[in-house]
Amino acid sequence: MRRALVAAVFLAVLMAAQCLHAAPLDAIRDILRRHLLNPPDEAALAALSDEDLPGKLRDIDPYARIFPAGEYRAPVAGGNSWVGIGAGLALRGEAPVLHVYRGGGADRAGVPDRVRLLQIDGQPVVGLDPEAIALRLKGQEGSTVRLGVALPGGGEESFTVRREVFSPLDVELIPPGTQRVVRIREFAGGLTRPALRATLDFMSGQDSAAKATRVIIDLRDAPGGDLYEAFDLAGLFLPPGTHLGTIRGRDGYAMEIHAPHGDKYSMPLTLLVGPETASAAEIFAGILRQHERVLLVGQTTYGKCASQTDARLSDGSVLRYTNKEVLFPGGDTCTGTGLTPDLAVGDDELDMLPRLVERAQSFSP
Amino acid sequence: MRTAILISILLAAMLLGGCAGQHDPRTGGFFGGVAGLGGGGYKDRVAEREARLAELRATQSELDAEKGQLETQKSAAQAQLDKDQARVKAMQTEIAALDKKTKSLAAKDGADKQRVADLQKRVTDLKGKMNKQASSLDDLEGSGLGDADMDLRRKQLEAQRDALRKEYDLLMKMQMELAQ
Repeated sequence: MRRALVAAVFLAVLMAAQCLHAAPLDAIRDILRRHLLNPPDEAALAALSDEDLPGKLRDIDPYARIFPAGEYRAPVAGGNSWVGIGAGLALRGEAPVLHVYRGGGADRAGVPDRVRLLQIDGQPVVGLDPEAIALRLKGQEGSTVRLGVALPGGGEESFTVRREVFSPLDVELIPPGTQRVVRIREFAGGLTRPALRATLDFMSGQDSAAKATRVIIDLRDAPGGDLYEAFDLAGLFLPPGTHLGTIRGRDGYAMEIHAPHGDKYSMPLTLLVGPETASAAEIFAGILRQHERVLLVGQTTYGKCASQTDARLSDGSVLRYTNKEVLFPGGDTCTGTGLTPDLAVGDDELDMLPRLVERAQSFSP
Repeated sequence: MRTAILISILLAAMLLGGCAGQHDPRTGGFFGGVAGLGGGGYKDRVAEREARLAELRATQSELDAEKGQLETQKSAAQAQLDKDQARVKAMQTEIAALDKKTKSLAAKDGADKQRVADLQKRVTDLKGKMNKQASSLDDLEGSGLGDADMDLRRKQLEAQRDALRKEYDLLMKMQMELAQ
């Protein structure tokens, strides 16, 4: 009798557990079936299971992701402060690269931007996955870490960096100000456009001659963000009513976006782009290029003119999937091809901002 | 007699020695001092010291003025920050009220339901952005940024707050339309 009871309880627990798993899978199938940009194959939907769910989702949508409950972080929102070395970690091939933020601990210790990280506190990082590297870079406020890096021009150097509270600028102004170089790392909805405006106005001040001087926007480390922010930013540099592009959705949905009214900037523009320039950043660059409003300098961009949305599931996990695509005014998309620069540079030059700026300033097609 | 002659010779030698060489009393020695007294060196020295003192006083008053200016700037910046924080707090209160109203909106039909859902999402987003504004302002002093970057950050926050205010006005209008 007791055995039967235990077995029944065990079975009930097992069934409940299965139900808990089954519910999100069904919800995932339903969401993808109804909302995925390109209708998915039913067989692929049926094949979705807990086993290698991320891999199976990628087979259906290359940008789909599942975030377990509690591990989800809302898309970029700009300007949050954190305790750390004031640098982001990116992978170039297998190599970890540091993206150094202005005013952070790494910047103040003299670590150059976009350097390859070789060692942390004397321990080589080769072979470590990004999470393990990030974990070693993290630490208590006030603690220090010794970073060994490969310099862009050749050679190695080590720097002692203090971990501290740091709040990055939403749009960075790269010194010297006379070069008029600004950097955008993320397209945060409703925040990047006013931040860019404030930065351009701050840079020019009351000098009307400066307002007509070329501005260089560095998008090399901009992996994307809010799609509408990309349109809003592009609209700052184009006359009101200009066709910026079309957002294509499921089942024939199409929305044309036009430049709004308001104050406009007419100075010549150069955008620095590279393989890590993606999504919203590529859309911004692509729109301005279609209207012959910018010169692109750097390397071919990532190639993703599609946007994703997040849906929270019943178990608290979050599904990210592609639901929209952006077409430029001519009907083209950058998906799969990226944007080819007007002036292409090599890998070394792409990492050395002063040289890149020099090339950009002397370039006239 | 011999002693008197010796003293006279010595005095004459001292006086003659005082006429020769440098007239700067700082070069030291009794002869130098005698020469300084005789050649106007002490006057020069006094004049030089007075000039230096005047210079020091001018520098000091410049520093005092600069300090005063910095303190004024600092207190103006603090006053501005307090004002910005008060504005953000007021906007947070307004948005919280809008959020409450939006949540209580009853959708009449399908189209309204979608609009209400969109509005609720936008209000939630706006709430999040305003909270971030508040913490960014609080963090401004300890942001690790230099003076010029901090000025820029302040301008960026100001521009962002104005943009969020416009978004709030728009959502408020939408809420009123849906409530009717």
